[in-house]
Amino acid sequence: MSHKRQPVSRRDFLQNSGSGLGAIALSAMLSAESVAGAVADPLKPKKPHFKATAKSVIFLFMEGGPSHLDLFDPKPALDKLAGQPMPASFGKVITAMGTSNNTIMPTKRAWKQHGQSGIWVSDWYPEIAKHVDEMSVFRACWADGLNHVGSVCQMNTCSILAGRPALGAWITYGLGSANRNLPTFVVLTDAAEVVGGPKNWSAGFLPATYQGTLLRNQGAPILDLVPPESIGDNQQRARLDLLKTLNEHFSADKAEDTELEARINAYELAYRMQAAGPEAVDLTKETEATKKLYGMDIEDTAKFGTNCLMARRLVERGVRFVELYSGSGSGWDAHSNIEGNHSKLCHASDAPIAGLLTDLKARGLLDETLVVWGGEFGRTPFNEKGDGRDHNPWGFTMWMAGGGIKGGQVIGTTDEIGLRGIDKRAHVTDIHATILHALGLDHRSVTYLHNGRAERPTIVTGEAVREAFV
Amino acid sequence: MMRKLSGLFVALFGVVLLLAAENSTKVKTFTEAQKNYWAFQPLRVAQPQRSAANPIDCFILTKLDAKKLALSPQADRVTLLRRVSFDLIGLPPTPEEVDAFVNDKSPQAYEKVVDRLLASPHYGERWARHWLDLARYAESEGFKSDETRANAWRYREYVVRAFNENTPYDRFVKEQIAGDELWPNNPWAKVATGFSRHYPDESNARNLMQRRQEILDDITDTVGATFMAMTYGCARCHDHKFDPILHTDYYRLQAFFANTAADDAVPMASPKEMQAWRERKANWEEKTAPVRKQIATLLDPEKAIILKDFLDKYPGEIQDIIAKPAVQRNPYEWQMFYKAKPYLTIEDDAAAKALKGEKKKQYAALLKELKEFASLDPGDASLGSSMHDVSASAPPTHRLNVGVYDAKAEEVQPGFLTIIDPAAPSIVPPADVNSTGRRTALANWLTSPKNPLTARVMVNRIWHYHFGQGIAPSPSDFGAMGGKPTHPELLDYLSSDFIQSGWDIKRLHKQIVMSATFRQSSAFNETAGAEDAKDKLLWRFPRERLEGEVIRDAALSVAGLLNESVGGPSVYPELPAGAGKPRGGWKVSESAEDRNRRSLYIFVRRNARYPMMEAFDMPDTHESCGRRNQTITAPQAMSLLNGKVSLEWAQAFAGRVLKQAGPDAQAAIKVAYKLAYGRSPDGFEKDSVLTFLSKQKSLVEERKVAGKKLALPTAMPAGYDPAQGAALVDFCQMLLNSNEFVYRN
Repeated sequence: MSHKRQPVSRRDFLQNSGSGLGAIALSAMLSAESVAGAVADPLKPKKPHFKATAKSVIFLFMEGGPSHLDLFDPKPALDKLAGQPMPASFGKVITAMGTSNNTIMPTKRAWKQHGQSGIWVSDWYPEIAKHVDEMSVFRACWADGLNHVGSVCQMNTCSILAGRPALGAWITYGLGSANRNLPTFVVLTDAAEVVGGPKNWSAGFLPATYQGTLLRNQGAPILDLVPPESIGDNQQRARLDLLKTLNEHFSADKAEDTELEARINAYELAYRMQAAGPEAVDLTKETEATKKLYGMDIEDTAKFGTNCLMARRLVERGVRFVELYSGSGSGWDAHSNIEGNHSKLCHASDAPIAGLLTDLKARGLLDETLVVWGGEFGRTPFNEKGDGRDHNPWGFTMWMAGGGIKGGQVIGTTDEIGLRGIDKRAHVTDIHATILHALGLDHRSVTYLHNGRAERPTIVTGEAVREAFV
Repeated sequence: MMRKLSGLFVALFGVVLLLAAENSTKVKTFTEAQKNYWAFQPLRVAQPQRSAANPIDCFILTKLDAKKLALSPQADRVTLLRRVSFDLIGLPPTPEEVDAFVNDKSPQAYEKVVDRLLASPHYGERWARHWLDLARYAESEGFKSDETRANAWRYREYVVRAFNENTPYDRFVKEQIAGDELWPNNPWAKVATGFSRHYPDESNARNLMQRRQEILDDITDTVGATFMAMTYGCARCHDHKFDPILHTDYYRLQAFFANTAADDAVPMASPKEMQAWRERKANWEEKTAPVRKQIATLLDPEKAIILKDFLDKYPGEIQDIIAKPAVQRNPYEWQMFYKAKPYLTIEDDAAAKALKGEKKKQYAALLKELKEFASLDPGDASLGSSMHDVSASAPPTHRLNVGVYDAKAEEVQPGFLTIIDPAAPSIVPPADVNSTGRRTALANWLTSPKNPLTARVMVNRIWHYHFGQGIAPSPSDFGAMGGKPTHPELLDYLSSDFIQSGWDIKRLHKQIVMSATFRQSSAFNETAGAEDAKDKLLWRFPRERLEGEVIRDAALSVAGLLNESVGGPSVYPELPAGAGKPRGGWKVSESAEDRNRRSLYIFVRRNARYPMMEAFDMPDTHESCGRRNQTITAPQAMSLLNGKVSLEWAQAFAGRVLKQAGPDAQAAIKVAYKLAYGRSPDGFEKDSVLTFLSKQKSLVEERKVAGKKLALPTAMPAGYDPAQGAALVDFCQMLLNSNEFVYRN
């Protein structure tokens, strides 16, 4: 196990800290080698461990748990077993709602094979189905949590217990920033607060600089990005100039303290972001045709479509990790009336996601953008309340496209009722390792010393799924 | 093929052997290097080679001498006063305090300041915040719902009191580990055990066996890190890779807590007050019995439905445990029962939601009737949160393979870190409490003068908070990965002295801040910088950015807005515009006085720290934090530069300046500098600010003509030019943003 040198002082911490939302180039930090000498700028994009196939990631998070059994993993056995309890051969499971003795519920979906590859997709996702030849479909994903908060947390941090850094934070730590005027790790929601809230994009024990930034849908996208309306722009510039004068005067006899200089730069960066932030999410520059492609012309799809389009604008501008929640606040959690719930959410996300894939491809961005689709878990083959499904972390579907992913293949199998993965299973840590792999990072080598352990994104397990790549 | 197979066999066999070795329960042997490791050695008191008035300086000078370095000259009085004030009470000195110190020619001038600060009630507030980082203190559950823990703040109160009363550290440790067993009649000693109670928890958990294990792990990690500076967490799954902490040691430590559960109903009032409360409550209950009975008739069936639905979601074994007659539950089952218990009582409000039609009307009428007795109702009793043992016999603790809750290996008894003390502790159940006595045994061991860790760890923490760097570099990791102490003799001297003084914390502070080492200037020196760039030897005082809490408190103080009252429930200052309410709620405090209390009193919601504090590196409350990250980021700048609240501070600050200085700009600049920095502006600063004010006035004038809103000084005198006023606000806000303001120099 490789271990980084233990940071022994706050200055070491600063050297360790880098570039999430507007961290500052702490160049010329005091170092053991030379007092006034330059230290490598930790903001500079860092070289990956090996050749990356993706520069950015767009993670489409269907929060609440979409039903793999009604979307990507058809199971004829469910029809045969309909109305019967789960056969004893499948063993016992503890579920969130205690439904494991309920009877098997078949799917009501119409299924079709799509594309050259003939991958099965149900009629809930007609537009996304057109892109199967770009996808690796992971049919045997699995996770550890039973309920939403632990599972959403795990899909973000690999642990069902809060407190660890999110994947986007690790990526920011591992790769640095490609656009200093924008946050490197961005989160977008379309409804309520994500279950567990900001813990899911937290930097955990990494320095705060690496944490994700929730872009708000209205007003300034970042908290306190612009001053109150009683402060004009010229006025703000003059304020900053005064501040700079005062700070430089204070530093005149403290030239060795580059931290003071870093703080001066932080204010200049904040000022630049004041302009860059709104520009990045300003969709007025997009054509009507583009907006239509994302479903922004139709009320049902406008909200998620807007976020998908923003995601494209952000990755175009160098943002490395965009996490897009569909149904934020557990929208996909269909304990009852899965028909109503999933019909609505599938419809709201289908055209926007398909539009995103089309648009990325047309702009030549799909090759360098890894698109990931999934929820925190799937759903059970047995019913809940007659017409819903309970949580299923033992076997569920995710897919990836673009960013070096081999299209038109299915990886992994669930058992005949879709309860558990049985072949080529991919744990959340494997999924994370795979995403990191696409970015050129070995998940075992991105380490940060914390409480005596060289912590890494995947904790102690995980293996990149190599066959997913071209 | 055969060769491959045999190779595989050898490899597999090797793994089996390795596993067998890992699982072996026989006493491990440690290497000489491990046995001789500095942190496990008894305290050694060596005489420093150098002499000086303060023993700290002797040790520091000895090391500096060796490199032909020296301490820097003493810092100027204003700098020193600001430094020691921020350090000890977390607030800047007032202009009056600055003048008094600068003009005090007596040799005891500085010592008087130190004594004043240590006696200030704000001292406890300042140092409690450090301790709360270690206790992963939060006032909500975390996980999904992040429900408020209504009485968690009593623990914060306890810590403030303990520091202010200068509770000896050994007592402070004992109270937090086993206050309920040792001082069962003292409610504050019970609240002290809240230290272990601050684990995140999930009301919606189904697998209670796993949940309990996760809580025990949290407590084990926190206790190990806080009191012993040992990263026990690594040993949860296997023997620690770098330190001699055995896999078994993890569960030995955990076993001390195996029988604990939360007790969130510790009466905080005196027995007499409680008696009065009980009488009033009984009277109310008697008077309202008929109407409450009718309410129960309406609600009980609904409650039964909700309860059944809730219970049905548990795995069968948990349902069985809850249904069992109490006498049949074994200690482990009691643990499960206590885990579920808080959720088995359904609140009236929850049940009433299910009522419809006529019943709903009836309920509304009954509620109205009940309200007529409201004046008789004494309300809820004043309660605190704590941890206690649920009985005198604990469920067995097992070593867990790879830390998995149901992968039980051999049973483990309570025990200490094997390398320090392999012997079984003497555990005596307390006579008058239904408790195992296990935690008392742990508390006694930790506070034994012979324990090599406890005093060293606390002395090092205090040193770390004073200098921004510990003598041992990682305050919560004395293991091999934590780095070696720079001045081991000094650490041992201070630790030994600390124990001999009766674990006197304030005395230790005084020792430190009276030293020449603490009082020296932070100015740079090229010769020394070339020799010791990181200032490990302390040839100058290390300059440091203030914590977010201190920056906010200092700004409020300078603005004349700070509410300095001490103690009480937490408050909810405004969130930044558009931040949205976190789950669990954030009802902004109504009065400005409440909103402007010290940052210590800002409600700590586990899943959503107060945004300004989060930006300034307030630690995540999911685990103990012994050393905060120190970052410099744009969001920090945005918070102080663009926040609505920080503009309000500047407006109040400018109003205060105008009131004191009158209309003259030069006088205003002087007053503002004195308030913000404790000093007068120099010529360059006066010129720069005057030029700024005049230019800014014209800029603002244009905005005013265009009908734009201006940010004016609070209570601006009639007749004062608004454009001039807005310019002054801008200047004042830049002072609050400046490096000189946010650094302890």
